[in-house]
Parts: sequence; structure tokens; C-alpha cells
Amino acid sequence: MSKIVIGQYIPGNSILHQLDPRAKLLFVFFFFFLIFLANNTATYLVLYLFVITIILLSQIRLSLFLRSIKPVLFIILFTVILHLILTKGGEALFVTPLFTIYEEGVRQAIFIASRFLILVVMASLLTFTTSSLDLTDALEILMGPLRKVRVPVHELALMMSIALRFIPTLWEETEKIMNAQLARGANLDSGNIFKRLVAYIPIFIPLFLSSFRRAEELAMAMEARAYRGGVGRTKYRMLQYTYKDYFLIVIFLILVLVIGWLRV
Amino acid sequence: MNQRSKVITLVETSIIASLAIVLNLLTPFQLWPNGGSVTLTMVPIAILAFRRGIGAGITAGLLTGLILLVLPGAFYANPIQVILDYPIAFALLGFAGWTSIKDISKPSRQIIKVIMGLFTAGILRLLSHFLSGVIFFADYAPKGQSPYVYSFIYNASYILPEIIISIIFVIVLLYTAPKLFQAK
Repeated sequence: MSKIVIGQYIPGNSILHQLDPRAKLLFVFFFFFLIFLANNTATYLVLYLFVITIILLSQIRLSLFLRSIKPVLFIILFTVILHLILTKGGEALFVTPLFTIYEEGVRQAIFIASRFLILVVMASLLTFTTSSLDLTDALEILMGPLRKVRVPVHELALMMSIALRFIPTLWEETEKIMNAQLARGANLDSGNIFKRLVAYIPIFIPLFLSSFRRAEELAMAMEARAYRGGVGRTKYRMLQYTYKDYFLIVIFLILVLVIGWLRV
Repeated sequence: MNQRSKVITLVETSIIASLAIVLNLLTPFQLWPNGGSVTLTMVPIAILAFRRGIGAGITAGLLTGLILLVLPGAFYANPIQVILDYPIAFALLGFAGWTSIKDISKPSRQIIKVIMGLFTAGILRLLSHFLSGVIFFADYAPKGQSPYVYSFIYNASYILPEIIISIIFVIVLLYTAPKLFQAK
């Protein structure tokens, strides 16, 4: 097991790191819809140009983006192959006894792969330049209006922070318990699926017990500090929009106009 | 609910969500080269649902789904697909707790309830992934191909084994550590 880093935040001081997490979150959210407006070469080129520009602005190594594309490569290839084989239209470019690849198929395959790539890279950019705690804060504020319909927004955000905080701790704990059981002769990696399943039981019980114990201790600590829910609770760090964040709105509007004008 | 049990439920729910994430990353049983893999993510969420009720289970699932979204390997193709595949799919797992096992003492009846609970939760999750798959394939698959069949086969291929494995796991835990299922 390798060392685990939660979220994929890469500390830095680029312009993208400096943006308000709320602004970035909203921008990426609306950008996801914008991608679906692209439907020809020109519009995709605009999107590529935009994404490449902000990758450069983010000052994050390209290899990291490649790493985040890797898990979805399989599904991209799958849809690309489907399109190559099944989409008909235009000239036949490549004829085999089993299937024929048409011009339209190649076009669609490239567009679909591009859409995927842009989606994944944009989402990665958000998580690379924003820490998960910042994202939680942003979500809490953006979801704030839901409090009116009695959604416990504050509690959810707090729970999210606790959950994020405890992932590395529990990961270490799991490793420790696994090593302890391995030292006692447990065999976790061999045998059929049921044998392996049974081997995991002696790991689960201590893991659950210690998780519930940790929960109890934390709850006690919160009570001792008089935690009483969200009403009137203040924050140590306050988020503040700057002119850079408002500039994002301008960029988004320009993108909408350009893509709306270029699309068919 | 008094303040004390409210805080402890809140904290337990959060920590169970982290545990679900850890188990999701641990993935002992890889099934597909990518995407669908059989994990034990359902187990902690289901145990919490039996222990603290449906609400806690759903919340833990919701948190798990939201956190998975920002982890490497998250899959985005379309906003609706994202919501169905992550927050909703995992939140539905909390429904495992609809069969309360608190007041039952006979082990055989407890087991039946656990199977019913986990099965329902698993099928609801499958339904959510299935719908998202239909939306995904409708967008990405060539015209004229039925998205329903693709989506069902792909999703069922890893969720059904996961349901079965989770049920076995929870039953063994119920036998060996029944205390996990009862809140103090």
C-alpha cells in the first residue's frame, strides 16, 4: 500500500490557487454544461485552447494530469471503439469484412474522447488547486440557502470535514491492523475470493471497534468544548471574493458567446 | 434525541464515511480493468444504518459519495451522471437500515433481516448506477444502440457480486461481533 494523500490538492501560489473556492466550484459546475454545447471542430478547439491556457496558469506538472486521466482511459477507449465501429455516415474510410469505419465515426470518436478529456482535466484542475477543506467550506456557503428547507447544511459540512480528516488516520490504522494480522500468519492475498473474504474478517472487527471508539472520544471532546450545532457558530477563516473571482464570470460569458456563435 | 446522542451520531456517521472511503480504496477484489470493481464500501454504511437508523446510513452514504468525487479515479461525463453515480448511489445504501434488527433476538431472523436490508440497498444503488449509465450511453454511445442493455450488464456485473460479498461479510460480522450493530 502506498502513502495516501486525500484529495489531490497540490499546494501552490498560482492565480488558480488564489481564486475563491466558491468561484472555482461554480465555474467548473457551469463549465460542465458548457462542454455539452460544443459540437464541431471549432468549438472543441476553443475548449482545448482554454483548458491548455489554464493548465499553464496553474503551474501544475503535466504528468499529474496524465495520472488523473489514466483511470478513465478504459471507458474513453471503449466509447471511441463503439463510435468507430457503429457510427455510420460520410465516406467509408476503412472496410473490413466485419465492420466499416466511416468518416462520421472518426469525427464522433474524436469529439467524444475530447469531451471526456476536457471534463477530467477541468475536474482535476479544481481538486489540484483547491484543498478539500476549502471545497467543503465553499459547498457549505453555496448550499446555505437550503437551510431554509431544513437541510442541515452546517452539520453536513462539519461531518464532511471530520470524514476527510479521518481518512488518513483510518488508513494508517487499517495498515497497522493488516500488518499485525500478517505477522500472526494471516494470508490475505491468496486463495479464491471466499478464502480472501474470510481472511479480511479479523481485520474488520478491530477496525470497526477502533472507529467507533474514536467517534466516542471525538464526540466527548466536542461536548467538552460545548459544541451545540451550527446556530451562531463562527469561522476562523472567512472566504472573500476578490476582483479575480468576478473576472471568472467575464471569462465564462466570453466562452458562452464564442461557443454559441461557433457551434452548428 | 438529546444533544449527547445527536453529537455521537454525527461523529459516528462521519467516521463511518471515512471508513467506507478507506475500504473503497483498498479494493481487495478487482473485477474489471477499470471502473467497476468489487469493494466492501457497503459494509460500514450498512452497519451504521443498522446501528443508528436509516437517516445516519443515508448521510454516511451521501458523504462517502461526495468524497469519492474528489478522489483520483472519479468519473465525470455529465452533471446528472455525476450526481446519480456518487451522492445518490451511495446515499441509497443507507436504506439497508429499513429492516431494524434492534428488537430481534433470534439470530436466524436477524440474518434474514440483514439479507433483506442489504439486498434492497444494493439494488437501489444498482438502479442509480443503471440510470446514470443510461444517461451516459445515451450521450456517448452511437445512435441506434440500446443504452439499457449496456448499462445493465456493465453495472450488474460488479454490483451483484458486491451485494453478495457484502451480505456474507455482514452476516459473519453479526455472528462474531454483534455489538457493532447495537448503539450504546
